[in-house]
Amino acid sequence: MQCKIPAIGIASSNIVQYATGYNFKYNNGMPIRYVSVPFPFTGQPRAVDVGYVSGKDMLTGQPLMTAVVHALTAPLTAEEMVSGAPPEEAVEPRLLPPDSEENLRRLFEDKEWTDFNSIILPTEKRVTAMLKGTSRKPDEVIKTINITGGARQLTVEKVAISAVMAGASPEHLPVILALATQAPFGNSTSSMANMIVISGPIRNRLKFNCGTNAMGPYNRSNAVVGRAFALMSKTAGDLRNNVNAWETLGSNLQYNSMCYGENEEALPTGWDPLHVETGFKPADNVLSVGMGWSSIASVGASQSIYPTHFLMRDYMSSFCASGSAATLVMDPTVAGLLKDVHGFKSKAQLSEWLSQNVTKTAASYWGNGVIQSTAVPFALEGLEPYASWRKLPDDALIKPFTNPKAIHVVVAGGKVQTMWFVTDFGIRRGVLIDDWA
Amino acid sequence: MKPRFFAFFLLGALLLMLATLSSHALPNHPQQATSKAGQNAPPPAKDTEPFPQVPRITAEEVERLAKDKGNVVLVDTDDSVTYEAEHIKGAVNIAYDPTVEAREQDQLLSALPGDKLIVFYCNCSHEEDSAPMVLEMWELGYDHDKVKALKGGLTRWEQLNYPLAGTDIDAAHGKGN
Repeated sequence: MQCKIPAIGIASSNIVQYATGYNFKYNNGMPIRYVSVPFPFTGQPRAVDVGYVSGKDMLTGQPLMTAVVHALTAPLTAEEMVSGAPPEEAVEPRLLPPDSEENLRRLFEDKEWTDFNSIILPTEKRVTAMLKGTSRKPDEVIKTINITGGARQLTVEKVAISAVMAGASPEHLPVILALATQAPFGNSTSSMANMIVISGPIRNRLKFNCGTNAMGPYNRSNAVVGRAFALMSKTAGDLRNNVNAWETLGSNLQYNSMCYGENEEALPTGWDPLHVETGFKPADNVLSVGMGWSSIASVGASQSIYPTHFLMRDYMSSFCASGSAATLVMDPTVAGLLKDVHGFKSKAQLSEWLSQNVTKTAASYWGNGVIQSTAVPFALEGLEPYASWRKLPDDALIKPFTNPKAIHVVVAGGKVQTMWFVTDFGIRRGVLIDDWA
Repeated sequence: MKPRFFAFFLLGALLLMLATLSSHALPNHPQQATSKAGQNAPPPAKDTEPFPQVPRITAEEVERLAKDKGNVVLVDTDDSVTYEAEHIKGAVNIAYDPTVEAREQDQLLSALPGDKLIVFYCNCSHEEDSAPMVLEMWELGYDHDKVKALKGGLTRWEQLNYPLAGTDIDAAHGKGN
């Protein structure tokens, strides 16, 4: 729609480089003029924002309002009058010319096609061998990934390339293809991370670690599947540092995305595996991916003076509770205590109890930036419970985890310590691995 | 063995490169980026219904449920400007944008209540924009029978003279500035 009304973008200094960079610059058909203010500005006292308005444009150094008026009124340059399809980015060839291993490694790093750990170079022979791990055709499109300014097709062959680079074997490929349906991993200024949970008999067949050190660097399958997610996310998702990946701190979890298997054999009676809780059959092989930011670990052994679920409740109150999302990962000994001593006969009962008992103040809830950008618009549009919560005094207590079905419980670990994590990871519907065999 | 390994590459083993780049599509044309399917694209053939796996609900049924306050959440999938101008009374706004990854909306979508019927609607003839949002809600774990698309969308709602809100509606009733 063309309104023929002059318009400019105002971006904060943290992101204006992205806004004026190649992809986004042309995304709307013609280069948009930008004026830039300091960062941060959202959630700041009014005096700070007023100061920005009376201050200088971060791009030109002009007084901000002068820059605004100039940007709105200056005649269009030749570049700005460009019309039609934006310039095409150079397309890389499918096969690289021969070169030394050293040069090729350098090339992969220069292009950011790696996680900067050493990779297995994906020769044609190795990728062909990897593709024997699936009945799918190499050119089958798994999904189209929307990237800034365009889209890319993620094919079976491209995933096989990532699998080779990660050090995987052909038998891992169906798992990694299932994982590809969830690519790319989170990319946000607020530094997301992911969690990959493997369920079903395939855990044992491929020797995923579900026991001692399930979440540590002690197992090949956990390592290569998790790493493949990083590699395919970065390449297929076109994620390059300070080009289109702007996670201010980043997350170390993205190297492996917390890939582990559930210790289904050690579940207390009545506690179903994650994939069964989410609608799959026990014999199904399922991969589930979660997304979040935070993880808090218990430290030391459980103490009867303050039961484990009380501590879980307390720790969860520090999460933003966006979408009621939480995932608890606990050792089988903790699951056993919760069931046998505290009476939680199922994971669902624990989730329900946490939903009813985790509280936080209204100020703490609304003080989170993610909540500001999601729940505030809903509150203003009258959606409950946000509309009512918005009217509460700062110190009023609310129960932010309104949806117990979004609180997931996974049991893993080697029964060595009564250890658990609470995380704010929201788990998406699982993917059947066997569909990709 | 090491010199032979290097020789393997030097002698011309072709490296598969990350072919993710080989099929890089053109950045979206501006009209593609901003248009809504029902506004600019020709409607699909009469017998074809996109996303047939997505359950539909009639406007009559939604209106009946909406009278029972709190039982249904309506979600307008148009862009915010269009939403502000006109939407079903009581609806919230989560814009559908086919040019971004669906999961970029996940924080908004997952903030919708899990214990109520959620009905997505668009200003399009065959739920082209609302049905994909239903699918994404399923991916987020919402019950299949708790998320539906409004059959006929806003157009059908208007035809039945059901309640609307927005600046255009206010202006039509003399409430605007």
